[in-house]
Amino acid sequence: MAERDGGHRRPNRGRLAPYGLLAPGIIWLTLFFLVPLASLARMSLSSKQSRFDFVPSFSWDWANYSDVFSLYGTQLARSFGFALAATVLCLLIGYPLAYWVAVHGGRWRNVLIGLVVVPFFTSFLLRTISWTVLLADNGTVVQAARWAGLLRVLRAAGLIDGDRLLDTPLAVIGGLTYNFLPFMILPIYVSLEKIDLRLLDAAADLYASGTSTLRRVVFPLSLPGVFAGSLLTFIPASGDFVNAAFLGGTRSRMIGNVVQDRFLVQLDYPGAAAISLLMMAIITSAVLLYAKLLGTAELA
Amino acid sequence: MAISTEPWSRRRFLRTGTLLLGGLGLAPNLLAACGGDSGGGATGLNIDTWPIYIDDDPETGTIARFGKATGIEVAWNEVINDTNEYFAKIQPQLSRGKTVGADIMMPTFWLVPRLIELGWLQKVPSFANRANLVPWLETPSWDPTGEYSIPWQAGVTGIAYNRKAVGGEVTSMAQLLAPALKGRVGVLTEMRDTVGLFMLADGKDPAMATVASAQGAFAMLEKAKYDGQIRRFTGQDYLDDLVAGNFAACIAWSGDAAQLAREDPNIGFAIPTEGGMQWADCMVIPKGSTKLDNTATFMNFVYDPANAARISAAVQYVSPVRGVADELRKLGADEAALADSAVLFPDAATTARLHTFASLDEAQEAVFEETFSRIAGS
Repeated sequence: MAERDGGHRRPNRGRLAPYGLLAPGIIWLTLFFLVPLASLARMSLSSKQSRFDFVPSFSWDWANYSDVFSLYGTQLARSFGFALAATVLCLLIGYPLAYWVAVHGGRWRNVLIGLVVVPFFTSFLLRTISWTVLLADNGTVVQAARWAGLLRVLRAAGLIDGDRLLDTPLAVIGGLTYNFLPFMILPIYVSLEKIDLRLLDAAADLYASGTSTLRRVVFPLSLPGVFAGSLLTFIPASGDFVNAAFLGGTRSRMIGNVVQDRFLVQLDYPGAAAISLLMMAIITSAVLLYAKLLGTAELA
Repeated sequence: MAISTEPWSRRRFLRTGTLLLGGLGLAPNLLAACGGDSGGGATGLNIDTWPIYIDDDPETGTIARFGKATGIEVAWNEVINDTNEYFAKIQPQLSRGKTVGADIMMPTFWLVPRLIELGWLQKVPSFANRANLVPWLETPSWDPTGEYSIPWQAGVTGIAYNRKAVGGEVTSMAQLLAPALKGRVGVLTEMRDTVGLFMLADGKDPAMATVASAQGAFAMLEKAKYDGQIRRFTGQDYLDDLVAGNFAACIAWSGDAAQLAREDPNIGFAIPTEGGMQWADCMVIPKGSTKLDNTATFMNFVYDPANAARISAAVQYVSPVRGVADELRKLGADEAALADSAVLFPDAATTARLHTFASLDEAQEAVFEETFSRIAGS
């Protein structure tokens, strides 16, 4: 009906405009996310006819999935354990730092927060490998820890093996914490910076103590940052393989190392694809659960 | 939540944006970690090889002298750390009939039959000095006609140790697996080296390896891993851990240990009393390389005993070139002493203690690799 005159067409065109603007994003995601994801799903249900069959054929091979739990359950659980530990550590270290910079940083705020990012100008790989030098068995860190009796405590806690720091679970968790710390600090800083400082005065006027101000005013208002920060830390940390490869030993390998070995050494593409998809599924469910607990409806 | 003291100004947006972009600087580094290109194609000859595998002095080293003598510029890419890993890297291109950029690759012997079978290799061009190839490597089991490969170096897999860390020597697998070294032992991700030595420790002959006869070795290996005896599975990067003292002892390649010992007298090497493994790394030419002339020139150069002796003096492996011992004596000084070394020129008694890993058919190899990967790779 509206086709009869051009005057009525305009609203139609207006309705299409948002889709036009979204098109680049949609095309990008389709080409580089959905299509690869579909091919990954297909690969995860394929099987290899022979060891050097580089193009596994699709065969609804669900065994690839059950193998993940039966063969790599330990590494899977370990990955989430390490990532959780690193996320909690990042939060414990990052929150006070972000708070201090946001509230007391004054005109140096931007410089201080810039310093958080400075280490990123060096290669991620190099920074991780540097830790192997710092934590070497004959290095000063280990000697100091031994002298202070710290090694005995850590060993009793099951965080290290033998008389060393390098190639232990503790080193891997430390590496993850170090490498992902800025991802925790930056979002928390951004949400803390937005808080009107007069709210703190108001809380004080209402006889709130320092702790209850922090607990009932500041922390709830910074939740969006905490939420974003924990996701930015936890998700990449649980799939990381670099830290475990360089700082971990035979008993601290993570699921990322298994994927690397299946994919790049054993050329077991179906197995690697199944692990990757399962990881995605588990992480997505965990994130949804986490969002529900924190009530993301109010976080936007 | 409209409680912001100041709205998001353009400047503030830009500042924060810059910070976030700084964070994104991480991404390319992560990608670089997975890459590791095999050099460009602009040079006269691209060679993919293992670390510390040639005399590398920029003025007097083999590559420099070869360049001066022939005008051919060589890109010497130390990109191989583990054979399987390297195979996985070249596989995507070669299986699609594309070039990998390398003109010469130096895989370990057991990969050669696989590469031949897959049809990924060109025949080695003929060159005059091929006549200097030692007889026992002329038609080896991995390349029965000798057409597709020519040895670069041969060597022995045994135990390297750090005297200071051990407080003595490590001369047997039994000692390597004893509680005294718990948590300070490294083993190789090269299946045939590690499983071979464990089979010898188990009293089995790796030259006759079958899935059944290797079960004991795999069980020992797995136990050593779960007991925390083994600290790490490594490629050639065991060198760093050994020098740093993180490994007191580890499974190692003879030449590596000899090269390290030159700089650190605390490093020692032993062929285990239970027996050692023998191997060779070969020069092969991938399909797609068009520089066969330069390749022949290079092979001719390194098969000249005088040049081969310089390489031997540096890498201290077993040379596949005849006449190297005489050339080493001519060089005098420390090099002359190497001419009598049992590691570089194994005598009959030493050779008797060395074993070569059986050639496995595809089905057997699949079981061996899978079993090993379950232990080493996870």
